[in-house]
Amino acid sequence: MPILLFKIFAPALSLLFQEAASGRVATAWQRAQHPDLSKFLVIGALLFIIGVAGVLTRRNIIVIFMSIELILNAANLNFIAFARYLEETGSVNAVAGQIFAVFVIVVAAAEAAIGLGIVIALYRNKETIWVDEIDILKW
Amino acid sequence: MVLSGWEAVFFWVFSIAAIFAGLLTVMARNTIHSALFLISSLVSVAALFILLQAEFIAGVQILVYVGGVMVLFLFVIMLVNVGAEERGREEIFNRPRQVTTSVIFCALLAAGLLYAINVGYEGLARRDAVPIKAGAEQRLNQERNLAPSATGSSRISTETEKVGGSLYRFGSLPFEIASVLLLVAIVGSVMLARTLKQEAAVDDVPRETSVAELAEIKDEPFVQG
Repeated sequence: MPILLFKIFAPALSLLFQEAASGRVATAWQRAQHPDLSKFLVIGALLFIIGVAGVLTRRNIIVIFMSIELILNAANLNFIAFARYLEETGSVNAVAGQIFAVFVIVVAAAEAAIGLGIVIALYRNKETIWVDEIDILKW
Repeated sequence: MVLSGWEAVFFWVFSIAAIFAGLLTVMARNTIHSALFLISSLVSVAALFILLQAEFIAGVQILVYVGGVMVLFLFVIMLVNVGAEERGREEIFNRPRQVTTSVIFCALLAAGLLYAINVGYEGLARRDAVPIKAGAEQRLNQERNLAPSATGSSRISTETEKVGGSLYRFGSLPFEIASVLLLVAIVGSVMLARTLKQEAAVDDVPRETSVAELAEIKDEPFVQG
């Protein structure tokens, strides 16, 4: 059980220097000088987790919306990184990842417009931006 | 897809900047500060897009997110009252137990994601070892063949050309659907944000109401509720 826990948490603790967890510091330094796909994925994962933490912990509805933007941006980073990776490994339509990122940006813009419209309407009726006070739909 | 030299340096600078700005977005007490930190995070991610040779997406990111969405956010922050938060009277996080649970959940999520990336990427790199090497060499050759820019100090990338071609060749239907979505979002947000008075002026006015009366309703000062 402790070994399993270590195996799961070691990469998380060492964050970006994945190889350093197993004592290969020289390898880690070598890889850090040549960041590849996995480093971009790790950055994307960290941004995603920061966004999730923001959504779950903050009380201010506007900051929650900003955290959602952070999450969508992390997903975009993954799309672009994989698009580049697939292009170099010779995939047929590798720019599909970039096109998907464009659509994600479009949907994020629409979502922000609608969400902030709801915030304005809510503030006009309820005079609050704290999510724990917005409970009109609770039965 | 292996960066080296200055690219690696810039990768670390911008990725660390993106993560710290993201953290500060979530932690900042003042909502305006949150928005500004989110802007710096988005710009850093745009720089990472440029390192990944997605110049078009980087430009779109800065124009749409920083120029459009974040300005919208700043307007809304200034429309709603955030004074109490700034003066430090209000708690900005949820209750301690909720925060503890969320942080534990996020730690587990981080552990799971990073473990999956470690194990998964090792397998992927082993499978694609040959194409990765060949692709890197091919890319270097391609970059040498690109047309030089007017000043001669750099070369003109054809990446945007490829994105545009592919967008209209394979993604034209989603493209049209996205434009409808944006239209719906515009109409919806206008409808959501108007006051009761404005709604009354548009929807529920009897036919016989004269144009002058309508104008009078519209000219009244902004009334909340």
